[in-house]
Amino acid sequence: MERIMEKDTANYKDYSLLSYHHIPGVHNLEVFERAGGYEMMKACFDKDPEAIKEVVKASGLRGRGGAGFPTGVKWGFFTKDRNAQKYLLCNADESEPGTFKDRYLVEKNPHILIEGMIISAWALGTQKGYIYIRGEFQQQAVILERALKEAYAKGYLGKNILGKGFNFDLYVHRGAGAYICGEETGMISSLEGKKGQPKLKPPFPAIKGYRGLPTMVNNVESLAAVPWIMRFGADEYKKWGTEKSAGTKLFSISGDVNKPGVIEVPLGTTLKEIIEVHCGGMRNGNKLKAVVPGGSSAPVFNHDESYSVKMDYEDVASKGSMLGSGAIIVLDETRNIGDLMKWTLEFYHHESCGQCTPCREGTGWLESIFKRRETGKASKADIDTLDKTAASMRGQTICALADAAAMPAQGMIKSFRSELEAYIMTPTNTGKK
Amino acid sequence: MTEKVKLTWNGKQIEAVKGSNLLQAALDNGQEVAHYCYHAGLSIAGVCRMCMVEQDGVPRPFPSCNATCGEGMVIRNDTPKIKAAVENTLQFHLLNHPLDCPVCDQAGECGLQDYYMKHGQYDSQMIDKKVHKEKVQDIGKNVMLDAERCILCSRCTRFTEEVTKTNELGILNRGDHAEITVNENLKNDYAQNLVDICPVGALTSKDFRFKQRVWFLEEVYTTCIGCETGCSVKVSQNKNGSYRVKPVFDETVNGHWMCDDGRSIYKHVSSPTRLQVASENMNGLFVPADESRVVELVTGKKANFILSTSLTNEEYARFFESIKGSKASVALYTLPTQGPEFDGILRRGDKNANLRGAQKAFEAAGFDHTSAGLDKVLNAISASDVAYVVVPEILYNEDHFNTLLKKIEKASTRIALTPGETLSSMKVFNYLLPVPSFLEKEGHIVNFQGTQRQLNAGLSYGETTKDISYYGKWVNV
Amino acid sequence: MSSHSPNQTHSMGAPFKFTDANLATYQEYLTRYDDVESALLPVLHLVQEQIKWLPQEAIEYVSVLMNIPEIKIKEVISFYDMFYDVPVGRNMVHVCTNITCSMFGGREIYAGLLKHFDTDYLTPTRDGRISLQKMECLGACEMAPCMRINNDYVGPVDLADAINKLEELP
Repeated sequence: MERIMEKDTANYKDYSLLSYHHIPGVHNLEVFERAGGYEMMKACFDKDPEAIKEVVKASGLRGRGGAGFPTGVKWGFFTKDRNAQKYLLCNADESEPGTFKDRYLVEKNPHILIEGMIISAWALGTQKGYIYIRGEFQQQAVILERALKEAYAKGYLGKNILGKGFNFDLYVHRGAGAYICGEETGMISSLEGKKGQPKLKPPFPAIKGYRGLPTMVNNVESLAAVPWIMRFGADEYKKWGTEKSAGTKLFSISGDVNKPGVIEVPLGTTLKEIIEVHCGGMRNGNKLKAVVPGGSSAPVFNHDESYSVKMDYEDVASKGSMLGSGAIIVLDETRNIGDLMKWTLEFYHHESCGQCTPCREGTGWLESIFKRRETGKASKADIDTLDKTAASMRGQTICALADAAAMPAQGMIKSFRSELEAYIMTPTNTGKK
Repeated sequence: MTEKVKLTWNGKQIEAVKGSNLLQAALDNGQEVAHYCYHAGLSIAGVCRMCMVEQDGVPRPFPSCNATCGEGMVIRNDTPKIKAAVENTLQFHLLNHPLDCPVCDQAGECGLQDYYMKHGQYDSQMIDKKVHKEKVQDIGKNVMLDAERCILCSRCTRFTEEVTKTNELGILNRGDHAEITVNENLKNDYAQNLVDICPVGALTSKDFRFKQRVWFLEEVYTTCIGCETGCSVKVSQNKNGSYRVKPVFDETVNGHWMCDDGRSIYKHVSSPTRLQVASENMNGLFVPADESRVVELVTGKKANFILSTSLTNEEYARFFESIKGSKASVALYTLPTQGPEFDGILRRGDKNANLRGAQKAFEAAGFDHTSAGLDKVLNAISASDVAYVVVPEILYNEDHFNTLLKKIEKASTRIALTPGETLSSMKVFNYLLPVPSFLEKEGHIVNFQGTQRQLNAGLSYGETTKDISYYGKWVNV
Repeated sequence: MSSHSPNQTHSMGAPFKFTDANLATYQEYLTRYDDVESALLPVLHLVQEQIKWLPQEAIEYVSVLMNIPEIKIKEVISFYDMFYDVPVGRNMVHVCTNITCSMFGGREIYAGLLKHFDTDYLTPTRDGRISLQKMECLGACEMAPCMRINNDYVGPVDLADAINKLEELP
């Protein structure tokens, strides 16, 4: 972002997602369009929808919400029957702790998402779309609504878009404060006006989703990458990143760094570079102790792992964690992993939807076990009980929330066991908090 | 018609309908699969996570309730991985459960208890404070709710949403604070099914509560005579009496359910006011009588029989055989319609359990079963006649029956044949004679579909060997 | 968000109905979806825009308006942290207590605010001005510790800042 860019001109060379972000007032359609926005949408209406899907598939774009499933492959599961009623759902719930990239993207540049969604809708043949945005992002919802209004006024949305005989209506739908609505089927339940409880799979949403109809759910960042990919092609996109992790990625960095915020860098950039170069290094010159590399459900990295990892799907996974949503939380030497464990377990306990027994009961129990020091019942063996309990929750539930609670707990135990043992054996009434 | 497939379950080959539910196929083939949330009569929830299986070629275990049968599938639920998973999940189920089995009515037929004996039996590591929820709540329609015992399988909420569509129940809150909640007291007429489908002791019957331990009861499989639907049911009883009626799955008639009216059809059978022996009206008081006195009284007099509509085909046949050659008049009293013709689920307004069987028997014997026929018989009754009335076993509308009784008053001898309790309106009779209740006889009835339904005999609580043909024989004495 | 035993319902002591403007908004919502049920979350937000919370009377009104069983509405309200079935203050303040904000004192700020305003989770201050709610990650970790005052994000804040900002609220 420190690179100097010509005002009012998109910087497609360095960015696919933040290429317009330096342009003042780019949230206005007119400004966005002057900089090159909506050009690809117009161009794509002359392209065969299947060809668009092929380009997205060839680009290697992977779902940016957290799972990293190839977007083009997911699109391939969708019905090709253009007359069938079906939906495009944009996941802007962004509920994974530590993540704020989608907010950063859409509050400055809502049109890049809308353009991406119109192209995707054309490719997929969806007649209606919703941007499901978390309830807390009320201001961002207003920004999106305003942008949608502009797009409707220009005839980019609604009936017979630009005279091409294609109809696509797009609306903003606000959540109301529930982490699980970031899970695609939880989101669909929520959109249906129900509790945001994930649905059993199969069937997958691409076959049977919102209202029992085919529904494609993609993350904000995935959809917003589509215009760039269509503009420059799959090969250009793949020049960024690694062989299996193509393109650029938004990272949300918070914690003990000098400049927390959102950056867009090619996948495979080292975490060291992200911290040292893009985030201005460690706060107060302190030593790095640990990093949560992909949102609160990602197992924590210790110092050495943090300084050796490359931020792409494969390298992070090979070191025992996951890239997730690209939320990086940096902890320095003054931090206690016990606190991180406590905050993490409290969160998942609060957010379990309560459907599946192992998660409903397990998330609460993990917290109870770890907090036994508050009732004077703690023993060192509790860490083993915690580890075993966490392990027994994994792979047992409808959605990944149980795993999301268990993985970081087990990760912290693996890397910081003695610190956690000391933590739980310290009664809370002696001052340590 | 329906294509069958062969699959392997724990190494054993089983056969199932292609595309049918995998868990159900396993259960139907006698395989043991722990499950709480799955119920064949409800949608799939897949939340209890007990019925997990592994399939060859599929990387992750999955719940068998959400899978369908396909040719050649190789399924196991006896692998160490699955056994460990089920044991762990059971532990999660029991984590916040109060473990109050000694005071719980579900004990003996509780899913938690059963599986704990099979898969659990570990030492609990739960030393933490349990989550407390609302205990004993009367939620109406004879149903009690204990939210602490609940394992949130959601069978009950799916029932009120999908079957009765009355939506009284829901699950509020998230995570381990999720709790079954009543928005308003139960208002549907199928509420007792909630007690049946609850796999634990969270929903219990107020009627059955604390009355009996289930292991002291035996079941009689029979047919409900509450209306012309004729649901398959089982009645739990022992020598002290009958205690409850539950539906038995019957694909052609009632599926998994029965209505609440049917739940009380057993009550007269072992009621303390049930007529046990022949009795005589002594100034309004019924006292045991010598049967031979009654025989003496009716000998040589013209007999008029008013039959009810809930007797078995066999009873009607035996009766008409017993009066063959006599001058006796016979008519049929049909119960008036009660409520709508059909409530959309099971219950029908026509309460005559074996109207079709009765009609057929009357026709075969050359008697008129119509209401005109009844009027004709009633009008022709003279002072010197004997009037026998078979009291309907389940009497929804006593007033209507009383108008019938008014019309027999002109007969000098009035005798009731009753399988039930002595009602105050019966003072019109000179004698009351007991006949077997539906729970004390073998035989068949024909329901509204024209389907033959079986009645089975359980324990007897009175002079139950003498059915109406026994008394019919008196016409020829 | 159900902050009490689920079997209790809270009354506002008067019937509820949408203002004419909100009724028009409701009609507009219906045009966005292919069924009525999908408009439930927007409608509940709209009720809260009008009266801040969701009393029993509003649940009944919405149930009749949308033909959705009351229990389904109650389930939804209890599931989401931003729907309130208890009376709340004129201003809703969310304090983030998730990882990054907790690293920078979010929990201490929340505790300090409760103490300063002599209140508890969601309970309105005695003057009815403010309700405080600790929240999971608000999605603004770069401004940790952060809070949401009505719809505005503020952060980083310390306790003194937070008190000052809240004291300025009408």
